[in-house]
Amino acid sequence: MKLFYRACATAVLLTVLAVLFAPGVDDFVEQTFQRYLGRAAS
Amino acid sequence: MKHLFRAITILLCLTMIPVSAIATAAIKQRFADGPNRVFSGGPLVSGELHRGAEPDWQFVNAIPTIEMQLEDPSTSRRIWTVEHDGRLYVWSGYMRSAVGRLWKQWPVQAERNGNAIFRIEGTRYLRHLERIQTGEALEGIAAAISAKYPSRPTPLTRAVIERGDVWVFEARARQP
Repeated sequence: MKLFYRACATAVLLTVLAVLFAPGVDDFVEQTFQRYLGRAAS
Repeated sequence: MKHLFRAITILLCLTMIPVSAIATAAIKQRFADGPNRVFSGGPLVSGELHRGAEPDWQFVNAIPTIEMQLEDPSTSRRIWTVEHDGRLYVWSGYMRSAVGRLWKQWPVQAERNGNAIFRIEGTRYLRHLERIQTGEALEGIAAAISAKYPSRPTPLTRAVIERGDVWVFEARARQP
């Protein structure tokens, strides 16, 4: 279980860094979120 | 019981990954000059401020969305717009759905303080938003919106606006 927690923490950290610095990742996240939000709101 | 607890923990840990992605993207957008898609952006800084006579707003009918920043709070978002009878209108849908009321904060904020800045094709315009809740003008506005955005899931009518499902604002000129 300890390994799983570490893997999750690493994944979260990598995700944050990717959204902050990798070009286009923030837009992809926003686009995906918009799709689900639009469905939920209608 | 132990297995259930473990399953919930695993699920929560895995959920943290997309949640952190969404939260990071939303926070990042707050520091940007304007919005991108759905997350609020920072204040509209760049772009020349329009001065002088009102433009012929018909050109917005060829633009899918514009950027709008309220005075209070000074966050910006991307919204739909339409010109009708020489006047400029913006609106917000989903206003009576639970998710919509959580998501769409700007119409409520604009009712409190309608001072706003629009950025259209790189030019900023000072506007004042005034909500239109009833009246015959809504028929023309609804028709103009439906004509510009024909792919709406439900047809927009005067009754829909008067019921409060959609909040329509006229964006009038204001002085600095």
